[in-house]
Formats: sequence, structure tokens, C-alpha cells
Amino acid sequence: MGGTKPRQVTVNGAMREIAVAPGTPLLDVLRDTLGLTGTKEACGRGECGACTVLIDGRPVMSCISLIEDVRGPVTTIEAIAGDHADLREAFADCGAFQCGFCTSGQIVRAAALLREPWPANAADVEAFIHTAMSGNICRCTGYTGIVDAVMRTGAGRGKLGGGAP
Amino acid sequence: MSHVGARHRPIDWEARSAGRVSYSGDIRLEGLLEGAILRSPHPHARIRSIDTGKALRMPGVHAIVTSADLPPGARYFHEGEKDRAPLADGIVRFVGQEVAAVAAETRSQAYAALRLIDVDYELLSPSLDVQAALQPGIDSLHARATGEANVSRRVLRQWGDAAKGRGDSRVSVSGSYHFPRQAHVCMEAMISVARWDEAEQRLHFWTTTQAPYYVVREVTQVLGLAAGQVVCHEVGVGGGFGAKSKICDVEVIAGLLAQTAGRPVRVRLSREEEFETTKTRHAFDTAMRLHADPSGYLKAIDASVTVENGAYNHSGASVMSAGLKGLGMMYRPEGVELSGQLIDTSMQPGGSFRGYGTTQTSFALECLMDELAEKLGVDPFELRIRNANQAGETTLVGARLGSARLVECLNAARQAIGWDAERAQRRPGRGVGVAAGVHVSGSFTEPGANRSDAAIDIFPDSRIRVRFGGADAGTGQKTIMAQIAAQELGVAYEAVDVLTMDSERTPFDMGSWSSRGTHFAGHAVRKCALETASRLKALAALKLGDGPLRLEGGEVRSDSGSLALGELARLSNESIDGVLSVETSYIDPVMELPDKDTGRSNISASYNFATHAAVVEVDRKTGQIRIIDYVAAHDIGTSINPTLIEGQTIGGVVMGLGVALGEAMIHEQGKMVNGAYLNYAMPRSADMPRIRPIMIEGGDPNGPYGAKAIGECSINPPAAVIANAVHDAIGVRIHDLPITPDKILKALAEKEGRARRHRIWARPSRWWIALVRWAYPHGLLKVLHGRGAPPQTCTDPAPLKAVATPESLPEALAALNSSAVLMGGGTDVQLRRRQRLIEPETLVALRGVAGLKEIKTASDGWMEVGAATSLAALASAMRQSIPMIAEAIDTIASPQIREMATLGGNLIQEKRCWFYRGGFNCFKRRGGLAPCYAIEGDHRFHHNVIDGHRCQAVTPSDLGTVLLALEARAVIVSPTGERIVPMADFYTGPGETVVKPDEILRAIRIPPSALSRQGAFTKLRLWEGDFAIVSAAITAQVDAGGRWQAPRIVLGAVASTPWRAFDTERRLAGQAVTAASLRRALDSELDAKGHPLARNAWKLDAAAGIAEAAVDAILARRQLVEG
Ligand code: FES
Ligand code: FES
Repeated sequence: MGGTKPRQVTVNGAMREIAVAPGTPLLDVLRDTLGLTGTKEACGRGECGACTVLIDGRPVMSCISLIEDVRGPVTTIEAIAGDHADLREAFADCGAFQCGFCTSGQIVRAAALLREPWPANAADVEAFIHTAMSGNICRCTGYTGIVDAVMRTGAGRGKLGGGAP
Repeated sequence: MSHVGARHRPIDWEARSAGRVSYSGDIRLEGLLEGAILRSPHPHARIRSIDTGKALRMPGVHAIVTSADLPPGARYFHEGEKDRAPLADGIVRFVGQEVAAVAAETRSQAYAALRLIDVDYELLSPSLDVQAALQPGIDSLHARATGEANVSRRVLRQWGDAAKGRGDSRVSVSGSYHFPRQAHVCMEAMISVARWDEAEQRLHFWTTTQAPYYVVREVTQVLGLAAGQVVCHEVGVGGGFGAKSKICDVEVIAGLLAQTAGRPVRVRLSREEEFETTKTRHAFDTAMRLHADPSGYLKAIDASVTVENGAYNHSGASVMSAGLKGLGMMYRPEGVELSGQLIDTSMQPGGSFRGYGTTQTSFALECLMDELAEKLGVDPFELRIRNANQAGETTLVGARLGSARLVECLNAARQAIGWDAERAQRRPGRGVGVAAGVHVSGSFTEPGANRSDAAIDIFPDSRIRVRFGGADAGTGQKTIMAQIAAQELGVAYEAVDVLTMDSERTPFDMGSWSSRGTHFAGHAVRKCALETASRLKALAALKLGDGPLRLEGGEVRSDSGSLALGELARLSNESIDGVLSVETSYIDPVMELPDKDTGRSNISASYNFATHAAVVEVDRKTGQIRIIDYVAAHDIGTSINPTLIEGQTIGGVVMGLGVALGEAMIHEQGKMVNGAYLNYAMPRSADMPRIRPIMIEGGDPNGPYGAKAIGECSINPPAAVIANAVHDAIGVRIHDLPITPDKILKALAEKEGRARRHRIWARPSRWWIALVRWAYPHGLLKVLHGRGAPPQTCTDPAPLKAVATPESLPEALAALNSSAVLMGGGTDVQLRRRQRLIEPETLVALRGVAGLKEIKTASDGWMEVGAATSLAALASAMRQSIPMIAEAIDTIASPQIREMATLGGNLIQEKRCWFYRGGFNCFKRRGGLAPCYAIEGDHRFHHNVIDGHRCQAVTPSDLGTVLLALEARAVIVSPTGERIVPMADFYTGPGETVVKPDEILRAIRIPPSALSRQGAFTKLRLWEGDFAIVSAAITAQVDAGGRWQAPRIVLGAVASTPWRAFDTERRLAGQAVTAASLRRALDSELDAKGHPLARNAWKLDAAAGIAEAAVDAILARRQLVEG
């Protein structure tokens, strides 16, 4: 194990030196090496979205992203939480989480979605969010609350009725 | 301020929404070791010996335990049957049963050690399903009290006078209904962290559970410890749904490893282990007959249920009897006559699951209510209203209904779904359905289950803490406890903390199961808070005098003055360090234990009813069901927190819709086949409509503040709602859940008298294959399976030596050698490593290679797309120019995967056959004479219907299908040069390509004609993002007259490689194409060339249907352009 040359990865704005075994998933680096346990593992197979983080602002599954192949700054729930108070409040108000295990992934994914263009026609927004959030499985809430929370946050940020954020 | 009834945010919302709640896996302990479990690969075998010698000498290994390390005869208590040892004791009875466990420094060391444990098994004959278990002469898995082989329990229930009811009836309807095994799929998989404190002689747990009480009780007795030696600590719990309502299968093992290793140990199941080995919902076969009089009054219900227990008794007997009791609660026939048999099989054991048997039986009941309505010519709502139980009645099973608002639920759902308008309009393919449900609010099933204690601490700074022994797995129990305490103590909601789960510091509670959370936590905390309030008032009276006192604003106030609660606490001579603690015990006064002989009792304090209704559209061409609208009206008593109630409602509905539309655990040779999110068709966000909850309020005399339960009732109606709506839409009744497209299309074909003729006798090239397929069920599979290695659960990849990140193509080519594997986005490579399909030493990552992500148009007009282009980037580049590429990408996996996955990786990905991927040692894994498990196994969705040979898998890439229809080419480089291969020659077999191990797929070239061709891609799948069951990519040059020139019609997932319908193309060339003309041509080609397996012929219908949809899409797009 070990014995690998350290590499530098920017996580939540800070440059970190990482020395881990070859092929260590980013998720393990975050949770075990850096102690950032907000990001969760529910499958380790890239199939559920619980481990979603942003690399270069884009949502990816950290459980199957190998540390050597991480080519950009990483943002996790720990940083997103600070920047998206409105989204978190909306999650709390809309019943968008119950057990909370999928929630970090949902919020990170939603934070990215809030930066993407939304349909110009407000009537299309609900279906758009239902589809865009489909990579994040939630076994508790049945999704209605999550979709409402993302819509409400988008509305608060002026994203309904089209236009850029 | 009224806290009860308010939409307060979840108590720990700030932490939970920021990833700051500590779940068991987030607990960091000094010296924590990783545990891993060795499991039986056989469904039934005797263990002759276990040799752990080699494994113990592996680096990093600290402990290995087997049943020899447990006290002799150690068994889980569960229902009192004591039939299961935490580590197999001599016999294994299902694939995946725990045999030994290792604790090591790292997870991969632990798994590596597992591989070196030698277990010598003597195979015994398995019973892989109920039918096999009941065969005469079969070996019994256990010696049961019934004395009958593999019959664990029988019950007979007669409530009321069923014989008289039958005599009074004039009409009857009957049917048999199958409810499959369902997996809980908590997002947090089973995990337990244990630490043995040598000095204290105590075993500490951080464990994911709904009921710390049972963890403590069972670990204590199984490990032979004394009361007080086992301690649970509070952690976040990532979902329960019944999976964690008793002890799970990991705590004892973690505890034993920690004791043995002398270091803390974490046992965490992989997702695959979670699916394949933990307890499931019990599968039910319910045969039922309803008897009624001509005016629609139910007279009698007869039912017999067969419940598959699996290998051990966990809660099988009580699930079965709860399922029967459900039939004596909702309606009021004169009598019911019910029987049940619980059958042992050498399969994953069943356990408790939200709904607990009532979900299964109410599916049958509510489908038959619809049939009865139809037979009588009565409106289905009206029929239910006529038969609904009312408040004040005692139902057949002995339930005394303090409140019952089923009729109100029925009326509300009818109105909300627009029933009358929907029924009046009768649009083709569209239907509306209804079903009702009932559930308890806690049940008095064993001594102690009618009691719950709570404690409240008043701190000197006036903060309040509620202490409660249960666990909140996401249902919101902690939040409502805080609301109740705030309400009764007159403090801000934010001033209340809640401590749960901590077995040292919280008083007695049995946990959250049987929907008891609201009822017991509500009463217990309310009682304790009222007691605390009166103590505080008594203390205040000493200072403030005798006048009226009230608690508000964190103070006790009188007209003359006020005192903060913390101050009052300090005044009490009972307080310790200024903290006043009050503990009370709530014993429910109305619940009764069931009568031993009849099973009757007022088992719960209150009963909650529901009515759900939905509008669906059923696509007759593809069998796909779309839910247009769904309403769920619930008789909740009163709501303590409406947001939480709505959440429980919606969550239960969607879990119920899961099994209505896709969820079922599929097994082969005793091993689960679809044990992955990818293969287990549970609802994703896009699959679900908005669920509209309707709360019917009005208190129940026995509920806390009038509240009743909600957590389970909501899962009961959905399956029948959908079955009834589908029947309404297309006139076929599906008796067998889930209602997947195969069942719809098969039923429609039967109804319409359609059948395909493939004339295999006239096709000599298929004779041998047909013969082998015939021989499989006639003994060949058994022989081949018996010769080979048993299937394995794949969960951990072999370690890598390096990940190379070349920056140029020559560098990348140079890095390739026999132990290196190329990686695009890595989304499939990581999976294949985990599945032990590849064990490379080096991965060569292509994303950093210069030029591999470019999209450019060459001088000859061909577009060239670099193979490392991400699917997301490709979709945005093509959305305007070649929209069908973007549309195909939109259907692939998830947004996150589309960011990572590359074009090249998508094309080259391996076959997705779930036997091959899932650890079955099949022909493609093992070669030689290993069998193809798909021939007899479940091949309805993802296998070949045309040219299957030794392997029945198909090429999974959607882009492969699309690019063939666009006549694209692959550019492949090797150290010696570059070659160009048309897509038509790219695939050599299922997910197998011409790209050699020393070559790299560099780019895809798309001809200029692709820009001018009209095209569409359509796909049938089980859930949003799943691989295609069938897909169609169709392109053509459409001339001014609307005639199709040089059409390309490619079907995906029907054959080993993307399959061109050449005959159809020829027949349609030069014609003005319509969906109907395509269908005619394609149907006859599929008849002539198809060679489906035993249960996937429906895919040919689906393929024709999905191709029709592609034609429709092309025509619609043209209309848009021309219009
Ligand atoms: S844990 Fe990464 S996708 Fe499931
Ligand atoms: S909140 Fe529990 S899985 Fe989403």
C-alpha cells in the first residue's frame, strides 16, 4: 500500500497534499484522508448519487472518480452548505429529506443545477427538475419535496420564466 | 405559539442539510479496524470444516471469527424460534449466509484474507422456491412444530360467520395474486461499529437501527454477556423501513470481532451484500374470494396465503398473521375465513418491511374489490363506501375503531383525482384506479410493546432535552418530540434537544416499528412534559405565590412575575448540578395482546385508513405505464407536523409504486441476480409524478393530540391503484407484481390473439441452439451448474499498482501492456474491477490525452469526435446539428455519469448481462462448459431475442445503435498506425469490439449525410437512465414528397450487436413511411429472424412498438419544421 507520490488537489478552495494508494477513489480521500464525511457512500458503483461532488463545478460521482484522474478543483457539501443557505432552507421546509443520507448528494447536485440554464417556459420546469435530479436516488421522500425545494430555490434566484441565473 | 400542528423544520435540519450528522460510518475511533464477512456461496450445505490458518497470517489481519467463537448454541431470538446462528453453525441455508468474519487494518486486507479462508462444504439439496420446498420427499431445512417438511407455520382464522355470509351472498369474484420480494434499499447500507472496553468489560455500539432496544437485548444474549454490558450510542440512521426494526445481521459479528481483536471494528455491508444477503419483504401468494349480495354489500372473504419465509424465521409468522388481520379491519363482511402457510426455502430470509404483510394482502383485496364493482356494475368508490367500517365499530379482527374516516378519504380522493370526469371521458390507453388501505398505530405483539418511557431534562440555561430510547431513522420522530415538549413547556422549539438511541441515558422504548413512533413517542413525551410542567409550576408557586401560573417564553409566569425554567430547575431539591430531570412511563390503556387461539384483539390504540387514486396512461405499443396524477388521502387523526405527515405519505406511496411498477428481487440458483441500483428498478425522480397528499383531519380519542400513525399505511394501496388503473386503461388485469412492460404486452397479445411464428424448423442454423435451449430445463443447466464454481458476491476491486495519466496518444499506447486497461470516464471500468471481471495492475486514463476531447469537422465534411469527449459535452455539441445523438445521451444513466462517461467508453462498454456482471460463473466468465444462466434465468428485459448463441447478452451501448444508423466510423490507433472501421463492423459480439488490447479507439467520424438525414432515437427502459430493454435508431433522407430514401433502421438490445432491419429498410425505401407501414414490414422481419428465449418474446413486440415511436418522432419533427 501507500508508497505513492503525493499529489495536490484543491478541495473546497484549499490546496491539499494527498498521499494515498494508487487508484483510491476521491470519495475515500475526502472521507478518510481529509475527514470530510459529509459526502456519503451508498453504492460505491456510480449508481445512486449519494457521493456527488463537484469537480470544476460539474457534478460527478466521487466513489468512482480515481484520485489520479481528478482534473480540477473539488467542491463538497461542506463548502456548498455555506454558499447555499436558501437551498438548505428550502430542503428543510419542503420535506426534501427524511433520513438525510442522500441529502448531501441531492444538495450538491441541486447546487450545480441551479447554475445551469433552466427551461424558458416555466411550465416545463417541474418536469425538467424531476429529470435532472434523477441521478440522485432517495428512498425516503418520494422526490416531490426535493423537486419543490429546488424549484423554490430557483424561483428565489429568479430562474423561473427563463433566463440565466 | 402552538408547536403541535406547526410545520417546524426537522429538528436537526441545519446539520442534516450540511452533511454534519454523524452516521455510523462517520464515527472515527482510534485503531478502528475494518470487518468483512465470508458468506456461503451455496443455498444449502453442511460445513465440514473451516480453515482460517492462511488468512490469519495475512498482513493487517487482527481477528477471524467463526461460530466456534460464539457461545455454544448462540442463536438470534427473533420470534422465539431461535433457528439462526449469527455465524453459520454447521449448516448454511441460503446463498450469502455468514460463515466467518475477518477484522483487518483496511477493507482490502480484510477482503483479501476472506479469499484465503478454506471452507469445506458438503452440498445438500436446496429448495429454491416454495414449489420446490413443498415437493414430496424433499429434505426439510429445519425441524418445525408443524411436523411437515418446510412448513414453518400454519394459521387458520375465522372471524365472524363466514359460512353464513357465503350463504347470504349472490355474487362472488376470486383471483390469485402474487406479491414479490421487495428490498428495503435504505440508502445507508447495514453498518455497525463496535468497541470492546476491556477495563469496563462493556461492548459499545454505533449502529444503524430503528430499535436500539433489540440490539442491546439480542447482542447481550447471543454473546452471553450480562445486562448492562452492551451499550448503544446515538447516530444518524440512514433509513429503516423495517429493515432495522430488530437486530440486523452485522452487530453480533462486529461485537465479536471487536472482542477478539481488542480493537474497535466496523462491519459495513457493500451495496451488493445489502441486496443479496439481508432480509427482504416476504413474497406472498394470495388466493382470495369475495362474496357479496347484489346491492354490493360484502358478505364474506375467503383467503389463503402462502408466504415464502426464506431460510430462517425472523418475522415470517407475524408478517403472515398481520397480513391476514388486515383483511379483518377495513370492511365489514359477516365473516372471514383465512388460512396461511409459511414456507421455508433455502433463500434469503424475509423480515419486517413497511406494511408488514398488509401491503401484500391488500393488493389482492383491493384488486378484487374492483372486480366485484365491475361484476355488480357498481362504482368502485361507491362499493367501498358501502362496506367501509365506521368509528365506534369493532371490526372482525377485534379492532375497536375510535375514529375511522375511510369514507371521507374515499370522497376526497374521488374528487381530487377527478374520477367522474375521467370515467366519463374514456380516452384510449388512459385509465383511473382507486384502492383503499388500513394500518395500525403500533401493535401490542409482545409484552412491553404497549409501553414507552420518556425523560426530560431542564438545564440551568433553560434549554430542554428530551431523552427517548427509540430511534428516528428518518420518520421525524425526534422533531415531533421536540414540538410536543416545546408545546407543553412553553418554550421555543429551538430550545429543545432530543437524545435518542443511547441505551445508557435514555429510558425504555422498543423502537420505531409497526407505526408506533407517533403514538408512543407522542404520548410518552407529552406525559413527561406535563409532569415536568406541573413540577415546575409547583416550584414556581413557592416564589410567585398561589395565583394562576402558565408556562410561556421559557418561563413560568404569573400575574406578578416570572421565573426562567432553568432557574426553577436549580431550585428543585431533586436537581443534580442544577439539572432537573423527570422521567415518566406511558402504558397504553386500550391495546390488547392478541388472543392465542383466535388471533383477535384490539391490537392497536388507533387505526388509520387511506384512499389513493391515480390516472395512468398505458402505451399499448411498448407496455410502458406513465402515472399522470396520483392522490393519497389519509385519515391521520390530527397532524403534529403536516410537512412530516406529507413526507411519510409521499415516501410510502413511491415505495409502493416501486413494487407496482418495477421492484422485485430476482434470484437464480438461490443468488440474487439484480442486486444493484442499476438492476433493481426502484423509482428515480423522473419516474415519479408529483404525489398529492390529502390530509383528512379529525382527532382520534386514543392518539396523542388526536394523532394517528401514517408511516406504513401509505405503502398499502399503490400496487392495487396501479393494477386497477391499468385494467381501466387497457382492459387487462395483471395479478403479478410488478407490472412491467413485458406483462402488459404479453397480456395484450393474448387478449388480441396475437402470436409470432418464428419457423425455427425451417432455419437449420438455429437447430442446434434450439436443442440446447430445450435441454437446459431438462437437466443440462443442473449438470453444467453443478460442475462449475458457485456464483460469488462481488464487492471489492483488486488493488492497483498505478494509474497512468498520459498526455499524448503515443504515451498512452506505450503504457498499454497485458496488465493495463484503458479507462475513459472510468464509469464502467471501476464496475468491472469491482465485479472482478478485470484485475489490471495499471489503469491508463485517457481524459488527459491531448486531442482526444476535440470535436471538429474535417475538410471532407466528416465530423470527428474525440473518444474521450464526455457524453455531456457531446450532447451539447450535437443538440442542434444531430439532435438524435443528444436525445440518446439524455436517456443514458444520470447527469453525473454523463459528465464522467466518454463516447469511447460508452461504445466499448461490456455487456451488461446481470448474470455475467453479478458474479455468476457463466460461459463468458469461465469459458469451457460453463452454462449461460440467462437461458433459464430471468431474461425478460436485457437479453437477446434474435441471434443468441452461447451467450444471450446484447450490446448495451445506445450510442452504438445510434451511430450505426448514422453510418459513422470508428478511428482506431495502434502503435503501427491508424485504421478506420465502419460501425457496422465495429461490434463482434455482445459488448465486444474489434478494438484490440494494444489499440485505442481515438475518435468517431460522422459522415456529412448525418446532418441532412432525419432521425430519431427511442428507447424502452425500466427506469429513467436504465439500459435499453429495446431501442430504435432510425434515420432516412426524406424527400420533398415525404418518401424515405435509404432508410436505416437499427434496433438496440435485441441482438448480440446493434441490429439492422435490412428487409424492412428495403421494403420501405422510396415509400412515404408511416408508423403502420413500418410496423407491418418490421413485424414480418422479426417473425422471420427472431429466436427469442422462453420468456422474452414480448421484446419483439416492444421493439416494433418502439420503432413505431421513432417513426412518429421523425414525422412530428418534420411537421414542426414544415409547420
Ligand atoms: S455512492 Fe457513488 S454513486 Fe452511489
Ligand atoms: S432522505 Fe433518506 S434517502 Fe433521501
